[in-house]
Amino acid sequence: MPKRKLDPLPAAAFQIMLALSAGELHGYAIMREVEEQTGGRLRLGPGTLYASIQALLEGKLIEEVDRPADTEERQERRRYYRLTIAGRKLARSEAERMADLLRVARARKILRGDYV
Amino acid sequence: MSEKIYTRLFRLYPSRFRKAYEDEALQLIRDRLRDEAGFFKRARLWWDLAMDVFAGLPQAYRNSYAVTAEAPAAPNAEGIPSFRMLDNEPLKRGSILIGSTLSLATIAAFGFLLSRSIGYVPLSSSNGRISAIESVVERLNRATTPDTAAGRAEEAAKSPSAGASESQSWPAAALPESTKHQDFATSVNVPANGLTANIPIASRDANPNMNRDQSLIPLELPRLQNASGSTSLDAAARQRVVTSAMQNLRQHYFDREVAQETADALLAHEKNGDDDAAKDGVVFAELLTRQMRDKSHDMHLVMEYSRDILPEHPPEPTPESLARYRMAMEQQNCMFRKIEILSHDIGYLKLDSFPDTSVCRSTATAAMAALNHATAIIIDLRDNAGGFPGMVTLIAGYLFDHPQYMYSPKGAPTEEFWTHSPIPENTLADKPVYILTSASTWSGAEQFSYDLKMLKRATLVGETTRGGAHAGVFHRIDDHFGMGIPEQKAINPFGKTDWEGVGVEPDVKVSAAEALETAVKLAEARVRTK
Repeated sequence: MPKRKLDPLPAAAFQIMLALSAGELHGYAIMREVEEQTGGRLRLGPGTLYASIQALLEGKLIEEVDRPADTEERQERRRYYRLTIAGRKLARSEAERMADLLRVARARKILRGDYV
Repeated sequence: MSEKIYTRLFRLYPSRFRKAYEDEALQLIRDRLRDEAGFFKRARLWWDLAMDVFAGLPQAYRNSYAVTAEAPAAPNAEGIPSFRMLDNEPLKRGSILIGSTLSLATIAAFGFLLSRSIGYVPLSSSNGRISAIESVVERLNRATTPDTAAGRAEEAAKSPSAGASESQSWPAAALPESTKHQDFATSVNVPANGLTANIPIASRDANPNMNRDQSLIPLELPRLQNASGSTSLDAAARQRVVTSAMQNLRQHYFDREVAQETADALLAHEKNGDDDAAKDGVVFAELLTRQMRDKSHDMHLVMEYSRDILPEHPPEPTPESLARYRMAMEQQNCMFRKIEILSHDIGYLKLDSFPDTSVCRSTATAAMAALNHATAIIIDLRDNAGGFPGMVTLIAGYLFDHPQYMYSPKGAPTEEFWTHSPIPENTLADKPVYILTSASTWSGAEQFSYDLKMLKRATLVGETTRGGAHAGVFHRIDDHFGMGIPEQKAINPFGKTDWEGVGVEPDVKVSAAEALETAVKLAEARVRTK
């Protein structure tokens, strides 16, 4: 069952969803976006990236979209993905779960300062 | 280049994943190659790709790749059981892991078994190790007709005065009745407690040019002194024997390291008091033999005890004894007992020894020439107690069309062990060969049988042979103890063990009495199908 693969949500899948929350992206762009949003800590390799994308597709959390007409890389065969409504919901609940964790961590004085 | 490598790597992924994403994945790598130039970035890229295999593969296999559809709504009528396929899952990681581990283990085990040489140890000897003494007892039990040398040895042992003064014996069994005479002693006979240990004397020290087996030439043995009555050993005597055995091992055994280890083991046993219970010479010799073999795994290491005093120097053959040997051989047609052509032109040769080629070469070539047109050959070694390796090689030479090495545990390969095949005008090289064996087939006759069996050149019919390889050179320790030590390493091309103590097993097991009849039937069947 698709649910099982994404529960708990793997870090890679969550990062991909976060990357796609800004708009439609193709594989390489997702990879770059993830790299950026993690400060270079996470560079998804093709295996991890597309396996996660497949899992998210199977879970109906993202979907493939037709190539935007205005891209310069029209000639290249690239597939673009975007977040579905269910995906956005799940990403939000995952973020909230993390925020809860953060609150607890801060209450227990594991984290200092007031970021996030 | 990088792409090619990654394409290979990508084959690890499930086929449906490849089908869906191979182009995309390669595109991604092309993009990264384009954007990430420089040594550091390239190295980081390859590191990422390598790590990606670990992280991505399991996940790729977890995905179902089914057309993404909801499980069909359950048309579940109450109480009616039904089966439904909920998910079409690919193979699990664990299953793949277990499957590949099992396959690898099976292949490895198979390879290991193939690479092991199969030792020649019959199942009957439970641990493959029979001490020399045990095998002697066995031999004695088998050959007890009073006329045989062994029988006489037993009698001699029973009346020590007679046995001690005339110390000849055993391999006399190799000689014909008329020559089975006391003067034809070919080894020192050591009667003790009714046991007889046969110790071949190498005359190597006396004359280095002589081959080892010329000890089989009849020797004039010096008269031995009467033995002292008591055989009780005290600690000091045991220590002397152990010390001397250690020296001999270090000095003569072909492998210095094994010699040192074996010597150390003997010393350790002595220090531990393992030897204290052995008050009797025979028991002590047997114990030392076992200790040496346990450490060295060399069946040719042996300690022997003689109740009679061992002669200081091995006797040398005299011209008289040689002349007597020659005459006896001539009288006996060089032990070529029977040469016959049976039905279907099957040749039959009964050979009761492998006599010295310097005396019997012409007899041997004549005998083989007489069999030259046979359709198959039966060589009867049931009463053959061995002889000279030169004759073994000479006769075997007729059975091959190319020079063949006739392995013998006595020493390193010398020219003497290579046949002179092909022999001009000989037609026997491709004819079926059957060798008849019995429980008294021994020594050189066992070499002949063993080699031809291992070379798959002959079918052995009869009984398991007696098991005497005599690869060791005899070293006198004191008046009563002596040991056999292999001085040259002989590499057995057929496996780890030769026939020492265990004999050569026939291909077709029948009693010695039925062996000829069986072999004739086999040969006839073989000849007829040709």
